[in-house]
Order: sequence, then C-alpha cells, then structure tokens
Amino acid sequence: MIVCVAVVGHQNNPLYIQSFTEADDALKLHHIVHCSLDVVDERVNNPKKSGPTLNETFLGLLYPTENYKVYGYLTNTKVKFILVTTDLDVRDADVRNFFRRFHAAYVDAVSNPFHVPDKKITSRTFAERVSNIVKSFGLSSAG
Amino acid sequence: MTVDPANTSLGRMLLEEISPVVMVLSTPLVEEDCLKNGLSFLQMLNPFSSFNNIDVPVRTASDQPYRLQKFKLRLYYASDVKQPNLEVGKKKLKEIVTEAGEKDLSELCSDAPQISNALVSSESGNPSSWFQCFNKQLVHMVSFSDHEAFDHPVACLLVASSKDEQPINRFVDLFNTNKLPSLLNDGAMDPKILKHYLLVHDNQDGPLDRATKLLAEMRSTFGSSDCQLLCINSSQNVQLKHQENPWAPYKSDASPSQHLGCFLNVDDISEIKDLMQDLSSKHIIPYMEQKIRVLNQQVSATRKGFRNQIKNLWWRKGKEDVVDSPTGSMYTFSSIESQIRVLGDCAFMLRDYELALSNYRLISTDYKLDKAWKRYAGVQEMIGLTYFLLDQSRKEAEYCLENAFNTYSKLGSSGQQNATRCGLWWIEMLKTRDQYKEAATVYFRVCGEDPLPSAVMLEQASYCYLLTKPSMLRKYGFHLVLAGDHYKKCDQIKHAIRTYRSAISVLKGTTWNHIKDHVHFHIGQWYASLEMYDVAVKHMLEVLACSHQSKTTQEFFLRDFLQIVQKTGKTFEVMKLQLPVINISSLKIIFEDNRTYASPSAASTRESLWRSLEEEMIPSFSTARTNWLELQSKLIPKKYRESNVCVAGEAVKVGIEFKNPLQIAISISGVSLICQLWQKTDEGTPDGNKSSEENDNDDNCEKLTTNIRDISSDDSLFILSEVDCSLGAGETITVQLTVTPRVEGTLQIVGVRWKLSGSVVGFHNFQSIYVKKNVVKGSRKAKLSPNDNLKFMVIKSIPRLHGSIQPLPEKVYAGTLQQLVLELRNQSEYPVKNLKMKVSHSRFLNIGNRENLTTQFPACLEKERDSGQSGALANSDMSHDVFLFPEDTLIQGKMPFLWPLWLRAAVPGYISLYISIYYEMGDISSVIRYRTLRLHYNLQVLPSLDVSFQISPSPLRLQQFLVRMDVVNRTSTESFQLHQLSSVGNQWEISLLQPPDSIFPLHSLKAGQGLSCFFMLKSCRKLSNSEDTISSISTPLASDVRLVPQGSGDSVYDITRSPLVDFHHCERLQQESSQQGDLNVIDFILISRMLKINADPGFCNAPHLISHHSCHCSVASAAPISWLVEGPGTLHHNFSSFCEVKLKMTIYNSSGATTFVRMKTFDSAGNVGRLTGVNAIQSATPGNQAGWHDVSLVNDIKVASNVPGTQLGKPLSLESVCPFIWSGPSSTNVQLEPKSSVEIPLQVCVFSPGTYDLSNYVLNWNLSPSNGRGNHEEGRQASGTCQGYPYYITLLQSA
Repeated sequence: MIVCVAVVGHQNNPLYIQSFTEADDALKLHHIVHCSLDVVDERVNNPKKSGPTLNETFLGLLYPTENYKVYGYLTNTKVKFILVTTDLDVRDADVRNFFRRFHAAYVDAVSNPFHVPDKKITSRTFAERVSNIVKSFGLSSAG
Repeated sequence: MTVDPANTSLGRMLLEEISPVVMVLSTPLVEEDCLKNGLSFLQMLNPFSSFNNIDVPVRTASDQPYRLQKFKLRLYYASDVKQPNLEVGKKKLKEIVTEAGEKDLSELCSDAPQISNALVSSESGNPSSWFQCFNKQLVHMVSFSDHEAFDHPVACLLVASSKDEQPINRFVDLFNTNKLPSLLNDGAMDPKILKHYLLVHDNQDGPLDRATKLLAEMRSTFGSSDCQLLCINSSQNVQLKHQENPWAPYKSDASPSQHLGCFLNVDDISEIKDLMQDLSSKHIIPYMEQKIRVLNQQVSATRKGFRNQIKNLWWRKGKEDVVDSPTGSMYTFSSIESQIRVLGDCAFMLRDYELALSNYRLISTDYKLDKAWKRYAGVQEMIGLTYFLLDQSRKEAEYCLENAFNTYSKLGSSGQQNATRCGLWWIEMLKTRDQYKEAATVYFRVCGEDPLPSAVMLEQASYCYLLTKPSMLRKYGFHLVLAGDHYKKCDQIKHAIRTYRSAISVLKGTTWNHIKDHVHFHIGQWYASLEMYDVAVKHMLEVLACSHQSKTTQEFFLRDFLQIVQKTGKTFEVMKLQLPVINISSLKIIFEDNRTYASPSAASTRESLWRSLEEEMIPSFSTARTNWLELQSKLIPKKYRESNVCVAGEAVKVGIEFKNPLQIAISISGVSLICQLWQKTDEGTPDGNKSSEENDNDDNCEKLTTNIRDISSDDSLFILSEVDCSLGAGETITVQLTVTPRVEGTLQIVGVRWKLSGSVVGFHNFQSIYVKKNVVKGSRKAKLSPNDNLKFMVIKSIPRLHGSIQPLPEKVYAGTLQQLVLELRNQSEYPVKNLKMKVSHSRFLNIGNRENLTTQFPACLEKERDSGQSGALANSDMSHDVFLFPEDTLIQGKMPFLWPLWLRAAVPGYISLYISIYYEMGDISSVIRYRTLRLHYNLQVLPSLDVSFQISPSPLRLQQFLVRMDVVNRTSTESFQLHQLSSVGNQWEISLLQPPDSIFPLHSLKAGQGLSCFFMLKSCRKLSNSEDTISSISTPLASDVRLVPQGSGDSVYDITRSPLVDFHHCERLQQESSQQGDLNVIDFILISRMLKINADPGFCNAPHLISHHSCHCSVASAAPISWLVEGPGTLHHNFSSFCEVKLKMTIYNSSGATTFVRMKTFDSAGNVGRLTGVNAIQSATPGNQAGWHDVSLVNDIKVASNVPGTQLGKPLSLESVCPFIWSGPSSTNVQLEPKSSVEIPLQVCVFSPGTYDLSNYVLNWNLSPSNGRGNHEEGRQASGTCQGYPYYITLLQSA
C-alpha cells in the first residue's frame, strides 16, 4: 500500500505531500520524505553509480526504513517525486509506471496558468488524480 | 595515507580496553593508609599502570623477538572482577548523561547553534567527550564475560600493610578461594595465576624497620622475586600540591579542597612507578610469554596438522547432538577451545596479531560447528579487530564485525550488550576510515529498546551524517529529532532541547513547516517544563502562524502558548508576533491638512478626482502656482513644507489589515498605534526635548516603544485610539486607528501594537518593513522617503467643518426627486467664511435656494392657478460652476448651517456623488488659510419607469401630432401613480385622447405592468406663410395633462419651478441629440409618484416626486415636408359621364430651409397596391422620432385606423379595373419658404362608383442649400421622395 506521495521542488521545498493512511503520521512521513532528499542528492551528485542510467529519471529505491520503502524520481526540472510504501515486495516496473503517471499528472497541474511555479500545488484535480493513481497502484501490482 | 592502526582512536581504545587485567587484593589497613591521600590503593596505582615507552622485548610463539613500547595494565579489585550488574551499569550511564546535560545548561539559553559550528565542534570531537565516556561505559558493561579471555586476570597483586598483624597470614587469607571472583571458581579460567606480593608501609607510622623485617619474611615464604615493599606517605605532615596531579583525570568527583596524593612526595611516586614498571616488564609480560608458548605447544599438538584437523572434524560431528545450550559453560579452562581462545587473547594483548588471528580463526569454526553462538560472535569480533590492527583486508574486518554484531543480536537480550560493544568497535573502525555514513547506520542499528542508549546512539549517528562528505544535513536533523524524542522518553529534557535546537539549524529557511512546527513547539514545551519561560515563548512564537496545520493542532498550539505565557506571569512583549498577520501593504494613512473628509469613503477616493473637482474653487492652486508657493514658503520653513501637515486636535487615521491565518478565532485587544511626538518649543524648532530618545537605533525599538507608551500615558501629548476585535477563522479585517496630537510639534507614527488573547503584546514597526512607498494620501511630494510619510508636522488647531447631507437614501428609484439638506457644523470658536461648493454630478444633485428650506415639498411645486408663469429659469447655468454661498455666510459656534439640496436620481445604476466645500479661516492666521471639506456618497439608483414617446403626424391636420406614450413599470414590487405629463417646448398643447379613468382603471401602474396612452399634440403656432417670423420663445411654455382623474385633489405641478426646471435643463444637455436647435422638437416630463411607502431600510421615506424627462422628441418625419390631401370623403354621382372630383393638397415645410417640391401624379393602376405598401412602411417607421424605442408592446395600432370614414376591404377588389385618372397637371413645382405652407389644387376623374385610394402620387423635395443653413445635420438628406399616403374617396351611384 502506498503510504505517502510527495512532490518536492527544485530547492527542496515541499510542493505537495499527501499521506494515504488513517493514522496521524503526517509528521513522520514529512520526516521520511525530508530525509529521502539527502539520498536523492547523493544519487544525483554521485553519478559514478549511475553509469549507463545517467539520464534516468527514476532513482529507484532510495532507502528502506524499518517499515517503509522509499522510492524517488527526479524530473529534468529537478522536481522530485517521492513514494513511500509499506509493500515489501514491490516490482520496479510498477513503481516506474506509477511515477510516469504521477509525472503526467504533475505536468498537467503545473501547466495550469493559475499555478504559481514553486508554490504548493493546491489543485483539487491533481489531488484526485493522484489518489486515483495511488489506488490503481495497489491493484496493478496485485494483478 | 596510511595511519598506524594502533594510533587511531579505535587502536587507542583497544589498547586501553583489551589489555592484561591485574586483580588486586588488599587488606583494609592498606586502604586506610592510602585514604589519607584521598585515594584508594587502586587509584593510587592507576596513573602509573600505563606505559608509553616500556620498551620490553617480547618473544611469543615464533622465535623472532620484538619490543613492546606501549603497554597498559588494567587493575581491578577482586570484588570487581565479575560481570557488572546491568542495573548498576544503566544507572551509571544515566549519571553520565545527566551530568553532561547539566554542563550544557548554560548553552541552552544561548542562541540556536549553527550547522557550521556543529560541524567544527563535532570534528574536533569536542561535544563527544561525554559520548566517549558513555561509550566506554557501554563497553565496560560487558566486561569479565566468560566467553572471552582478555578480561580474565593474568596476575594477582596481593597487598598487605606493614601495620597488619601477621602479614604472611593475611596474604594467604586474601587469596582465599571463597572471596575470589566466580570466574576463577567456576572453572571458566585457570585459577593458577601469577601472584605478586606487596607490602605497603606508611612512613608516617614510623621507621622502616618492621617493614623490612616483614619483607624478608615474605620473601622467604613466597619467593624472593615475587615480593616487594612500597613506602608511601613519606611527606611528613606537610601537604604537597602536585603541579600536574597525575590522579586528577582518574578521580573526577574529588572535591577541589582535597589534594589528591597530598602526602605522597616525589620519592613515593617514583617508587610506585618503579613498582608498576617492574610488575609489568619483569613479571606480567614474561608470564604471558610463557603462557603463550605453553598454550601454543598444546594447541599445535592437538589441533595443528592434517591429522588433528580430520580428528577434530570427526569429533565435532559426533558431539553435535549433545550440545543444546549454546551459552552453557561447556568449555572449562582446560578444554582445548578455551585454551585456544586464551592463547589468542594473550597474543592479542602482546600484539602478536598474526598469532592471535590464526588462533581466533581456528577456534571460530569450532564454535560455529558447536553452535556456541556467543563465543563464535566473540571470536568473530576479535578477528575483525585483529584485521583492523593488522591494517589488512578491510572488507574482511568489516564482514567479521558485522557477522559478530548480527550473531550477538540474534541471541536476544543476553547478547544485546555485547552487540552494542561490537557495534561501537565497528563504528569506530568505520569512522577511522571516514565511512561516516555507514557508521551512522551502525549507530542506528545499535539502538535497542532502551531509550537512553538509543538516544545517545542516535545523536552520535546524527553527527556522523554531519561529518559525511557532503554532509547529509536532513538526516542529521532527522536523527537529532529522533534522539531528542528518546531523550525525552527518559526524562533527559536538557538533552532533548539541545538536540532539537541543533535540528533547527537544518530547518531554518526551508518550508518544511510541519517539521519546523513540531521542533519549535516541543522545544517550547520543554523549556516551559524547565521553567525557562522566556525562551519557551520565543520558540512557541514560531509555531503560532501555523495555517497549514489542522484546526485541532492550531488550537493545541495556541492554548499551550497562552498557558506558557501565563506562567511567565507577565504580559509578553514580542517584536515579531506572527498572529495576526499584518498586511503592511494595506497600510493607509489618512490625515487632514487643508483637505478634510466627511467620511472614510471620501478619504479613500482618488486624490486626482478631488483635485479636478476642486480645481476651480481653490485659489491659485494651479493657475498662479508660483504665487502660492511663494506665499507658502514665506509662511513655513522648507523643512515643514516637505513633511505632511496635520492639525492639533484632529485625528490622523491609519487603516491596516489584520489577517487571521488560523482556522480558529483569535481575539486581539488594545490595538493602537505607536507614536512619537516632539513638542515644538518656543523658538519654533522641534527638538527632541520631550522624548529624548532619537529613533536612530532600530535595534532598540522594543525599549523605545515601551518608553513612548509611557510618555503618552503621562502627559498626553497625543491621544491614541484603542480597538478591540475578534478575528474569525481566516478572517481579514481592516482596523482603523487614530492618533490625535494635542500640541504642536512633529508627530511620527512608528508602528502598531496589539495584545493577543489578553496576554501577549505584539509590535509591528512600520518603518523597518516599509520598503514600498504606498502611503495613499498626502503623497504630494513623490520624493519623500518612507519615513517622512509617517512623519507629520503638527500645527495649531484651526477650524474644521463637519458636514453631512440629510436624509440621503442609499437606494432610490430612477427619477425620484427629493429634497435634501446639507448640514455644516463648525465646532471651533473661529468662524469660517467664503464658502464655496461644487458637486460632481449636477444631473443628480442640485443646489437649492435658501428659501427652499422653509417650503414644503412637493407642495411648493404645485402650480398656482392665478400666477401663471412665476418661476424663472433661475440658475440653469450654475450647474457646472462653483456655487458660492451668500457672502454673509459665517459658520461658527454650535449652530449648524443648513442649505437645501435637490436630489434627482437621473439614471439607474450605481452613482458616486462627490461634493467638495471650500472654506477659509476666519480670524485666525495659520499655515493653512483655507480648507476643503470633501463629501462622498454612494447611491444606488434602481430602474423605475420606462417611458418612451412616439410621435407621428396626424393625417387629419397639419401641425397636429399623435403622441403615443409607452410606460412600463420596471420594478418588481412598487406601484406608481402617474400624475401628469407635461410638454416643454415650442408652444405645444397636449391633450388626452381618452379620459384618464379609461386608461388607468386602477389609478396606478403595478409592478411589471406596461401600458400605452395616446395624446394629441398641437402646435400653437399659426400656420404661417413663409414671410412670417417665428415668435421667439424665451421661456419654455408648458402644457400639462393630468393623468389622475379629476377631483382627486392634487393639482398640477409647475415644471417651470426651480428644481424641476433645473434638472430638466440637465437632462436636455444630457440627452442632447442631433436636432439641437431644431424647432420641431418637444420635451416631455412625466411626473409620477410611488404609491406605497417602502419598508426597505435603504430607501428614504421622505416626500418625493418621480419625474421622467424625455427630451428632444422630434415631431418631424424624415422629410422636411408634410402634406395633407383634403377633399370630399363621399360623393354621389349619377355617372352618366365621368365624375370629376376636386381635391386640395396643402404642403407644409417644417424645416428651416427653403424647399423645392415637385408633385407628380401617375395613373398606372398596377402601382397602387405596391405604393400603398411602401407608404405604410414609411409611416410606421418614422426616421427621426427621438425618444422612441421599442417597448415591446402590441404594435398593431396604426394611426390610419383612427381615420374616420374609411371602409376597408372593399377597394382592393376593385383595383383590377382602371378606376380613375388624375385629371389635373401631372406635375406641379412649388417653392416653400421655411415654416410656410402652400396649397395645390388636384383633380381626379372617376368613371364608376366605388372606393378609391388616391395614393398614387409622389412628392420630390429638394432642400435649398442657399439659405445660410449649410450645416445640415448628418442623417438629414438634401433631397428625397415621398410616396403619397392613402386617401380614400368613395363615390356612390346617385339615384
């Protein structure tokens, strides 16, 4: 199950954080997302590991905590997408697919002329779309 | 870069922690002697038990000797040689942490640390000093375990005092097995260890004689080499102070008054040194060498070699089933496994790492096969460390340590402590290799259930993240927060605060508000729990404006904040209070110099609008500017001119927006301005003698503001208004604040202060943030600096008029005419004079006469039957000019000055009325000579009646017109009573075609109702010939039609009376059309009244009339000419021959120019129908009927239908036959002078009886351009053709 998705701006400012749990763990998830940025930075600044996947947007598993797995994705405008999931067995393809759809939703959201760049994404449509994507993530991995 | 592993921190640590243990057994008397120095015996020896340069040759298993340089002995009392109690250990840990926390207390009050500082200090290892202590304690918690041998004592030091009786016996007693540690007793280690006997002699007790005797005795008993004598306390009765006290680092809890080792002189110390040196080099090291060699031989014999290995494997296999307790003490000291381990540890301690490693590896597999996991882990640990010290195979070292760590961890609680120790070794190793990130993860793994060690580990982990290159600041912060939480769990509040505070430095300047709020809020709470409320409040302030949090969280934050503030017991004054949010760009300052405002809305109107309105009133403002400037500059110094001027006793208003970002309501009270006033001294120069503090230092603002408040409360140089308000969730309100200076001088508005929830005072300084210049009013000089905009020159009190218009409604229906009163008051003792007034919309607002005040409206408008034309066109020219009040007008004292105004809501919509009143000061000399009072009113005009007129020429008479009036009630609720219709214009006479009762059966027009009524309009002018002059019309003559039934008591209103005629004039100008100057236009005024009184509060229930003005309705059609065919309608004829009918056509030229007309007749019968059709169209669409528009009524009423004597239907069937011919001239030309008529005779021959339409003629007309009226209005043709209109003639067969 996806616990949390986040969009983080290129100055590492949070643009959108949405948790999908009932529990009151917003703070924890904020911390996790915040910390994962360190790993994103590390991945980006140490290209030696990347090798052939230099221009890959998908950053893979950022770090596993006790209960969560954190995946990252970096757009070419240095906007980061973070996915926190409790699934222990996640297929890479699923995550890639998720991020691709998430990216599309994000691009649509920021293409709105009333969206202020580098400000929080307040679009309700975006939120709906994201929650749909999140819901379908569980289904596709199950099927 | 290769660093000797032994010189790294881990190396040093290992040297310290894994070194031979000497068990000390001493008699109480020995301790007593030593306590004189404030030391125990062990402590006395301790400083001398480590050697930096012992330089002892060592030969272990190999024949190659090497020299040891560094060496250390660990001394323990026998009672301590046991596994330490876990609880005691934990307590010790807690002590260390608490102690460290107390030390940090001073830092807690300082500012939050910066990352750079943290980086520097953690690199230098400064803050981690107590971490090392802590880590050491953690390591010590698992010492003397039976699964590893390096803690097993290698020697035993037996000490007796020379005072002891029978010291020999005492020695024997000391090594009594009952008292010995369990390690020796339960068979975990070899009880046969090296024994060394020491006799201590206290020199204060007397000479050495007895001691030497005893020593000799001892030597004879225990062997000469193993006995020694130590003399202490040689310093007789003199307390020595050691410059560098060697004991100090070992005994930190000693009180400073006590001089450690005060009786030990230099000789004693050197004796102790020698003793320890001897013990190490001559006894312990050789003993260990010996042991290694012996054990090595045994191991070689049983385990080395191919045969032994096979045997071992076989043996192990068979043993497998038996083993079920992995930690059980199945390995006694005599078992080969234990011996290998001892051999390894001894070799390790003597730094023969190769030997140690080979033995560890040997034993490792055995333990693994035996599933003796704890021992296996212990050996793995040692392998890792050995690899490290050998500085080879780093990966292997790491692997081994990780393996050991994991194995320990798997053991559960019993292995937890060992796992921690192993983890610490591992971390140290990683740190040595700069693998900080990995070290941090290990720290994280070391964390167990216990919160306190976890907290310390997490904090150390955070520093590791900081030291990682590049720094992983977010993880640093995160781990600090985690550590803080753990500290909090075990009540180490100070540490919790410290870690959280460090975390702030990471979050500073980011927008991770959730995390930030959490950190600040908890720091605040914790500080509060330490009763450091000031700092607590400081942190709590950061979380107040948490609009992103949920409502409950916001409530929680605010409640806690207020609680803390309450606990401080004082009202807090905060410079940067974020609640509510102040929108500085909304700052709006309204002050009155020579411009005064009657209402806030007037003040918020654009200055340019007022400027243009007042342009003509204000003396030499724009026209003779130089003069005015000269005058001004003479009166006031330049300095004053550049600042804003305000008048003492008159309030300066400041409007500022407060926004509540929270979802909960907050209350703010006592909102007021912070001001400074420098009183003007007699010399006329403002100096700061009243408020001595200059406003130079912005840092000192808080102090300053408090000071100023004191001033204001003390001698009241100015009065401040205070506003209390409550802000709902997310609400934004604009607070109006005023400051009223009372004395002359210089007033400076500094900022605003308010009190949140009655406990916290917030300040906001305008200047400090005032970057943009947006003072709305008084920005006369654009070059003013922002500070100057908040600075005012206060001049002495001058008169000020207060004005209002009563009773001005907010909503009126279009056309409403109402009387208003302008009320002016002057509260000062000085009179004002030379009043002038100007109104922005004279169409809406008209200035009346003084007499109007006393008359009754609308009765005053009623036409008196006898007086005829009484009202003159009073002041129709005034409307665009400045109205001058009578010269004798002086306003003074309490009496209000009243002046009538007329309001007429001309058109529907929203109207802003601007009125400016100019006045001059009476008998007072001041910088300001005149002032203006600006009034502003908004008026909503609702549509009421829609009136339109259609005028068509009557076909019966020239100069007569049919007027059709369409009236629609556009309101939804109101009913109107139409009162009268008056025509204004060139002597027109108007009359109803029907009696009023038949038009208005209900006497009123209901909401939404529409109706049409018809009037006959007659020109009173005589049909004149072309040479007649037109009687000049100086005053508009009105003719009125009452639309109410006779006898209802209301008389006709005189539309030539003052307000009506004035408004009509305005309407005329407004509705100006192309026919200006045309004489064929007529104006209509429809006067009506609203029937019921409206209950809507916006409306005013004052007596009123509703007048609708329709101006410039043209009576003329498209052509300048009109004609009338006259003749008999019905004729009897016998038709023996054809019948000849004579007709007369009268053509009238209604235009102002000479017109040539040609009349042509034609007999083609086929054209008749068509021409008739064209005619009908032309009459139905009169081209120039101004004031007419389609009112969507039933539009089938034709003028023609009113023509009497017409029989429709019949003639159309007859048109097929040739009915008649024109018998006169087929073409006639006439010339028509302006406003003249001419008659043309016509003749028709009819051949059979019937009804005929005589419309088959055309009139061609040509306007003569020669008549000086060259300016033909556009749309007016110079020539045209008119089709004849139907004229029916009926011929009957006579009998």
